[in-house]
Amino acid sequence: MNIVVAIKHIPSIADDLPVKGNNVDFDSVDFVLNEWDEHSIEQAVLIKEAVGGTVTVVGVDLIGELDNALHLALAKGADKVVKITADDPAADSHQQAKWLAEAIKGMGADMVFAGVQASNDIDGQIGPMIAAYLDMPYIGGTSAIEVSGNTATVSKEFPGGVGMKYSVTLPFVAGVQSAPKPPRYAPVSKVRQMAQTATIEKVAPTGEASAGLAFKKMAPPVATGHAEMIEGSPKEVAAKIVELLKSKGLA
Amino acid sequence: MLTTIEKILFILLALVSAGFTVHGFKTIIDTIRMGRPAPELKNIPASLLKAGVTVLFQQTIFKARKVLSAIHMGLFFGLITYAFVNLVDALEGLVPNFDLIYSGKHLSPPAWTVPLINAYNLISDVMSGFLLIAITVFLVRRFIVKDKALAYRENVLLNPKVKAGGQAKDSLIVGVFVIMHVSAHLMSQAYRLTEGADPFMPIASFLNSIFGASQTGVHVAWWISIGWVMFIIPYLSRSKHTHFFMAPINLGLAKQNPRGQLDPAIPLKVIDGRKYDPGAKVITDLAWTRIMDAYACVQCNRCQDVCPANFYGRPLSPSALEVNKRYLLKEATFGSHPDLLLAPLTETVISPEAVWSCTTCYACVRVCPVGNEPMADIVDIRRRMLIDGFEIDSGVQNALQSLATNGNWMGKGKRLRGRWAKEMEFPVKNATEEPVEVLWFVGDTASFDERVIPNTKMVARIFHQAGLDFGILYQNESNAGNDVRRVGEEGLFEQLVEQNMAAFGKAQFKQIVTTDPHSFNTLKNEYPQFGGKFEVKHYTVTLLKLFEEGKLTVKNKLSHYKVTFHDPCYLGRYNGGFTAPRKLLELLGVEFHEMPRNCENSFCCGAGGGQIWMGKVAPGERPAENRIKEALTTFERHPNEKKQLFIVTCPKDMVMYSDAVKTTGNEGKIEVRDIIQLVAEAVGVEEVSQIVG
Amino acid sequence: MSNDVFVITEHLDGKFSDVSFEMVGKAKELAKALGGQAVAVVVGGGVEANVFASDSTIQVDDAALSQFNPEAYGKVIEALVKEKAPRVVLFGWTVTGMDVAAWLSARLGVPCAAYAKDVRVEGGGVVVSCQAYGGKLTAEVAPEGETAIVACLAGSFPAEAGQGATAAEKIASPVDLSGLKMKFIEMVKPAGGDVDITAQTKLVSVGRGIGGKENIELAEELAAKLGAAVSASRPVVDAGWLPRTRQVGKSGLKVKPKLYLMLGISGAPEHLEGMKSAELIIAINTDKKAPIFNVAHYGATADLFEVAEAMLELL
Ligand SMILES: Cc1cc2nc3c(=O)[nH]c(=O)nc-3n(C[C@H](O)[C@H](O)[C@H](O)COP(=O)(O)OP(=O)(O)OC[C@H]3O[C@@H](n4cnc5c(N)ncnc54)[C@H](O)[C@@H]3O)c2cc1C
Ligand SMILES: Cc1cc2nc3c(=O)[nH]c(=O)nc-3n(C[C@H](O)[C@H](O)[C@H](O)COP(=O)(O)OP(=O)(O)OC[C@H]3O[C@@H](n4cnc5c(N)ncnc54)[C@H](O)[C@@H]3O)c2cc1C
Ligand code: SF4
Ligand code: SF4
Repeated sequence: MNIVVAIKHIPSIADDLPVKGNNVDFDSVDFVLNEWDEHSIEQAVLIKEAVGGTVTVVGVDLIGELDNALHLALAKGADKVVKITADDPAADSHQQAKWLAEAIKGMGADMVFAGVQASNDIDGQIGPMIAAYLDMPYIGGTSAIEVSGNTATVSKEFPGGVGMKYSVTLPFVAGVQSAPKPPRYAPVSKVRQMAQTATIEKVAPTGEASAGLAFKKMAPPVATGHAEMIEGSPKEVAAKIVELLKSKGLA
Repeated sequence: MLTTIEKILFILLALVSAGFTVHGFKTIIDTIRMGRPAPELKNIPASLLKAGVTVLFQQTIFKARKVLSAIHMGLFFGLITYAFVNLVDALEGLVPNFDLIYSGKHLSPPAWTVPLINAYNLISDVMSGFLLIAITVFLVRRFIVKDKALAYRENVLLNPKVKAGGQAKDSLIVGVFVIMHVSAHLMSQAYRLTEGADPFMPIASFLNSIFGASQTGVHVAWWISIGWVMFIIPYLSRSKHTHFFMAPINLGLAKQNPRGQLDPAIPLKVIDGRKYDPGAKVITDLAWTRIMDAYACVQCNRCQDVCPANFYGRPLSPSALEVNKRYLLKEATFGSHPDLLLAPLTETVISPEAVWSCTTCYACVRVCPVGNEPMADIVDIRRRMLIDGFEIDSGVQNALQSLATNGNWMGKGKRLRGRWAKEMEFPVKNATEEPVEVLWFVGDTASFDERVIPNTKMVARIFHQAGLDFGILYQNESNAGNDVRRVGEEGLFEQLVEQNMAAFGKAQFKQIVTTDPHSFNTLKNEYPQFGGKFEVKHYTVTLLKLFEEGKLTVKNKLSHYKVTFHDPCYLGRYNGGFTAPRKLLELLGVEFHEMPRNCENSFCCGAGGGQIWMGKVAPGERPAENRIKEALTTFERHPNEKKQLFIVTCPKDMVMYSDAVKTTGNEGKIEVRDIIQLVAEAVGVEEVSQIVG
Repeated sequence: MSNDVFVITEHLDGKFSDVSFEMVGKAKELAKALGGQAVAVVVGGGVEANVFASDSTIQVDDAALSQFNPEAYGKVIEALVKEKAPRVVLFGWTVTGMDVAAWLSARLGVPCAAYAKDVRVEGGGVVVSCQAYGGKLTAEVAPEGETAIVACLAGSFPAEAGQGATAAEKIASPVDLSGLKMKFIEMVKPAGGDVDITAQTKLVSVGRGIGGKENIELAEELAAKLGAAVSASRPVVDAGWLPRTRQVGKSGLKVKPKLYLMLGISGAPEHLEGMKSAELIIAINTDKKAPIFNVAHYGATADLFEVAEAMLELL
């Protein structure tokens, strides 16, 4: 089984995000691995452990700092890592998906996994776009993927705890919401060992695609900071809450 | 006394016994040598000698259980005396006409020895009586009273043989031996008294008055007494009573490094180019000193008594760990299961859940009379579990992941670390940008937890008021890594150390001060191994000095408070920081009462060793809740109307105990405060708003 | 090209989700401004589709489409959009919409704006407010070109405006639905047992302010009236007033309901960790300095019992 995992390096939202012009000030933020990518890597490694095969992790190196994420992937069980040397922190999902699709084309992938979403998917997620560019079917929001022969059984999550099962003929692209098990922890010593021994394959970006979105403004949402206080007697408070709930269709 | 045939028999028996004994101890030594290299021990002869003296005066056992320890001391002296008595008995058997009864008159000794002989007769006679009583007390305790301290919780992993009562069997055999041996000795002396009572042998004389004298009796009693010894000595090497021999040696070879310095995950010294994986999976992955721990263990359960995890009902018992190690080794080396040496420790000596329950409070190591380090084994097992990809608690995993990316466990961005300082009414220096006298290492909880930040700011205000030239590292500070290391994530610990060392390298300072005992411990005891050359102080020491130098003065005495103080493990037990906080409290003029468990004996709040990160919280009374109750009981003994405060000097304690006051429903009765809040009130810096949440 | 606004509606088990109505309401507003029509698109066989206030409703009625299938739905929607060339296509940024919106954008080479909190027409063009970076930033973007795909966050617009009874025009699938690589197998419903608070859309959460086990009933009553379940902070669970399955927070469960009504919870970080992403947080607390007021959207300094009882009378 040849599984390719496409990852996304994104600005960390643990810090405040400064804005420059109409976009994030990419020079003053830290880039981290998209949290759902941890699940897609885990899902891929679980399948490899179950039926054998190789896991290749590929990502776009936006600011020249992707190596750590790739070493982490290796420490978690990936067999091969590839970085697309783009050096463009503002590259949108469309552009990244195109580069990734072009890089994946020659890899003979049976399955391509991506995290179901990322916090900077303003123009949509890379998973379904890679599927479109590779002309493969896409299924997102997966909570478990099992493979047997040429078919995968995919569980997809719906609201309210409902799940749907699909059978999918390989190859296909999946947007992983969660692996059946929590992503494993990679001890730092293993990651560091990978950093010393592993080789990262470098690929030049090829292909062009654009989100077609003009950024007019980027700003923190109107500050809330403090709850809007409902004043009055308990009866008045109750009345206002009920009114509020009704207006939002919640009562 | 003995006939020739008896003598030949005796010598043969002695040879067989010696053979088994040598084999026993050789096996033990070989087994210990299978362990990994331990951190280098210095001055071994001197420390062995010191241990010998310690054992002679039984100092270490008195750390707990005073009465029983006194009886143990008696037993110990009894047995030491008995080694000599046995020698004399052997001479009586082998040397014709040798005996010491009636002041040794059959030997016609020189006059000056007569008082000595009488003294010997009296001591051995009375000691025999005492031994019989003492052993009976211990046997009654074990078999009839069934002292709970000697039992294990249901959920603790136990070797099947231990479960089936193996330890009790050992005790019974040795107990019966002592009773038989001592009684037989007394009888052999009683049967010798052909000329009636010897005033220096009251018990033997009393027995003689009942049983009379008899040559056959002397022979039979002699054989029972000495024959047993031939049997029991080799047996000892195979039983829990190996501790007779191993305890003093173990104590002599106990940890010499500071308490707060963990052994490395991979031995620094390599023998025969062997490659070691970090930590411990099987028993031979432990350092040889810690394999020896198992042989030295008295199985007294003192460590279990003080273990906060055990108290909390978790499946952890440090003594069960040592006992299980002991039984595993026995079955592997004396029994028929050599494969056990390759069995995972998590299946044979301690359950994974127990491994992850340890708060690394060091209480077990501190209390152990024979210098054992169960905690060090636990950390080593964690280290390997992490490397081997064992599924760890999700909360711990989140914390570690955040530490790896953000340098703090709270999932906050690096840049936000110094945010509290930017909100101060005066500028707080960035030590990486301008030189400072004192570099304040703030720590995660104090930097990020909204409940603790008011205290952090108060520390800054007080330092500022006292004119202390201090600065912080802002986003260059990372978690110091104390608990990361104790969770077993050695690689991440090293990464954090590197980050902090790089930050220290950018800064100019004379001294580091920390508000967090955990950071304090690792900076002080472990960073030097990574090239850290700096002096580290806990803020209680710094504050005390500021008072002593007159830079801070008490304007308002706080006699309206009745307070008690909790020694944080990593300040107190680990680093002996007992006096500064107490002196401060004295200066502030509060009414101070010590809790029963204080200083070395302080009871862990339950947060250390990564426990505060745990996503799953077990049911049961938490250690912190128990501690709040202890404080309240302490206060009850001194009733008055004063406000009752529980004083802490650790940001984690602030969180743990504020929570515990709530969950025990004691709000209004007792309030948790950081010592800085009292200092602020006393020196007249504006009142801090009370902890919220 | 048309100035129509398409809404790709969503249904599960024969029921349309709220976001479908929300989007239809929004589509009407946009269509008006653009001078086109609001068209509700229903992909699915055997669904009662005459429920929208749209200008028209197209229902692609095929048994093969009765359950969501990203491959089939994608193909059908692609064909429809190609054929009708609407100005705007609204998707829900939901488990189903997310599977198709970005795919369609890449297939057709038209822009997509996701995480949309608001869509409006400005100077003849479409402008979308996107909630990016976990809500830390809002991006205002203008899709370029003739068709724009917009994926809307649920709960962004009122649902009432989309409710109606426009008769659906049923059409056959515009594409061949044989030979799909993806097949629906089965639907798995959650097992019974205690209430799963993580699956609830509304929670009434009680803290120590509730005072005792005997008062839990009040919260249960209020919850029942609201169609909510009762959750709690840890001390409430520790005290045994509610089972552990109801605990929200660091050592409990993480929840993300549409409504999180907090009665007597102070807002400790350990609790916030479990509920801070709830969509609407309302906190009742007697302490006006309670930290929860820094996090809640609405708050009231009041006695929870008085407020709860007054609410019961009004509901
Ligand atoms: C390691 C660790 C893990 C933890 N994990 C969790 C966790 O998973 N989940 C969790 O919830 N907590 C957790 N906690 C506990 C947490 O720190 C707080 O103690 C807890 O959340 C407080 O619960 P509370 O808000 O119900 O109680 P309190 O903080 O006591 O708040 C009660 C509130 O009710 C208000 N009140 C009282 N009476 C009334 C009234 N009549 N009307 C209106 N308001 C009233 C009070 O003003 C107060 O603000 C954890 C703590 C630790 C140390
Ligand atoms: C298709 C899909 C469906 C999903 N469905 C669900 C679902 O049904 N239920 C669900 O729970 N999740 C769901 N998720 C996951 C969801 O999107 C979030 O990733 C998840 O809920 C984040 O959890 P969190 O808010 O606890 O964590 P975080 O990501 O850590 O926090 C989120 C936000 O909280 C802010 N924050 C941090 N600290 C504080 C603080 N002290 N006070 C206030 N704010 C703070 C952060 O800045 C951030 O903006 C779904 C995801 C996908 C892709
Ligand atoms: S270190 Fe503390 S918690 Fe750990 S085993 Fe020893 S006594 Fe128990
Ligand atoms: S480890 Fe030490 S304290 Fe614990 S049972 Fe053994 S001898 Fe006693």
